[in-house]
Amino acid sequence: MIELTEKLQTYLRDRLGEPELIVSGLSRIPGGASRETYRFRAASGGRERGLILRRDPEASLIETERTTEYRAYEAFHALGLPVPAPVALELDPAPLERPFFIMEEIENCLAGSILSPDPYGAHREKIGREFFTVLGRIASVDPRDVGLSDLEGETDIHDVAMHEVARWEKVIDEDEREPQPIVRAALRWLKRHPPPPAQKIAVVHGDYRTGNFLFDEAGKIRAILDWEMTHLGDPLEDLGWAIDPLWSGGDPAHPGGMIARDEAIAVWEKASGLKAEPAALHWWEIFASVKGAAIWISAAREYAEGRNIDPINAFSGWFCLAFHNKVLADRLGEIA
Amino acid sequence: MNPEVGTIIGLSVQKIASGVNEHGAAFAQGTIGLLGSVLTMAAKEYDRAADIRVAENADLRALFGTLAGVVRDEGLKAKLQAAAAARDDNLRISTLNENNYALRRLLTEAMVFVEVHGLRDAEKRIWAVLKAAAERRLVQLGP
Repeated sequence: MIELTEKLQTYLRDRLGEPELIVSGLSRIPGGASRETYRFRAASGGRERGLILRRDPEASLIETERTTEYRAYEAFHALGLPVPAPVALELDPAPLERPFFIMEEIENCLAGSILSPDPYGAHREKIGREFFTVLGRIASVDPRDVGLSDLEGETDIHDVAMHEVARWEKVIDEDEREPQPIVRAALRWLKRHPPPPAQKIAVVHGDYRTGNFLFDEAGKIRAILDWEMTHLGDPLEDLGWAIDPLWSGGDPAHPGGMIARDEAIAVWEKASGLKAEPAALHWWEIFASVKGAAIWISAAREYAEGRNIDPINAFSGWFCLAFHNKVLADRLGEIA
Repeated sequence: MNPEVGTIIGLSVQKIASGVNEHGAAFAQGTIGLLGSVLTMAAKEYDRAADIRVAENADLRALFGTLAGVVRDEGLKAKLQAAAAARDDNLRISTLNENNYALRRLLTEAMVFVEVHGLRDAEKRIWAVLKAAAERRLVQLGP
C-alpha cells in the first residue's frame, strides 16, 4: 500500500501540476468487483480533499471500458445530476501498473445493501422517489447533447433489444460451466417475443440499482456510481433492471426496497417524458434477469478458474444465479 | 452449484492466507464478512447438495418418461427413454453433477422441440419441473 501511495502521489503531482501535493490514508474499499476501488486524501496548497481511485483489476467480473465510465461521470456531473466529479483518467499502465481513473469522494454517505431487509429506514419513500426521478432524468437525455452518442450499443430503435440479447447470450456461451435450461429458455422467449421498438435511444447506465448509489443522513441521494456498463440502448433496460426483484430486499412489490412498483414507474415516466408500456417493460424485466444470470455465470467462472477470488464472485455464482433462475422460472412458467 | 464447494473452501482459505488485511481495515472487514457468508452457504450446500441433485435427477427422468410419449421425433424419443430408464450409480456430488448436466442438456433439447411443435401441455409440465428445481436450489442466507 505504501508503494501504491507513493506512485499515486508522484502521478498526481505531475498530472495536477501541484509539486507539494501529499497523498495519505490510501485504503481499499470492499466491493466493486469490476474495478479495484480505493479512497485517499490529497492535500495541496492548504486544501485537503477526499478522492477515489478506480483501477483496472487483473481480472474483472465483467469486461468493462474505463474510458466509457469516466466519460459518463463527466457528462452527467456536468448536467448537475448526483454524480461525483471526475478528476483524471489515465490509460497508460505505467504509473500504477494498470489503467485507472480518479474522481471526488462523496463523503459521509451510505450505500444500501440487497442483503438488508430495510436499507433506507424512514427515508425509503423519499429515496425511492429521487432514485426513480434521477433514472428518468438520465433517460431523458439525448446522448448527442452530452457527447456520448458514440458509446457502444445499437442505435436503431428496432434492433436495440436483440442487440442486447445477443450481447449477453455471448457472455453465457463463453462462460457457462454447467447447462442452464432456464436461462436458455428465457433467451429463446426473448427472441420469440420481441418488445416494441424503443421510444428513443438513450444513455443506459447499465447497473442502476440498490447498492450503486450513495445517500446521506437526510435521505438525499448524493451520488450515482458504477457507470462501467454504460452504453446506448432502450431506456426501459435501466428501468427493468432497477425494479428487478434481486434488488428489492425480499419485497418485490417495492422495487429497490423503496416505493411501490406503480409509483416507481409513474415517477420514472414523469421524469423521463417516456411511457413504460406494460408489455415492453415486462420484456425488459425478463431481459434483466437473463442479464443478471449472465453476469453471475461469468462471476462463477472467474472465481472457479482462480482469476478473481474475491468472495463476491462466489456469492454471485451461488446466491444471485439461483435467485434469477427462480425469478425466470416463476415468470416464464406463468405464461407458458 | 457453481463454483463447487471444494473450490470455495480452497480459495477462501487462500484469500485468508494471502492476508485480507493488506489493503486496509475497511476492505478486510468487508471481505471477511463476505467470506463468512460464502462459507456459511458452503456448509449448507455440503448438507443438501446430494439431496437436491438426487431429487432433480429423479424429476427430470420422470419428466422424460412422460415426454417420450408425446415426442414424435424418433431420435429424441429414444434419448428421452434411455435417460428416463437410467439411475444415479452413486451419491458422489461429482457423479450426480455429471448425470445432472447430461439430463439438463437433454432437457434443453426437449424444450426446443416442444416449443417448436407447440406442445403446450408438455411445455407446462417442463416448467413445473423447472420451477420446483429452481425453488430447491434457492440459497437461503443466514444461519
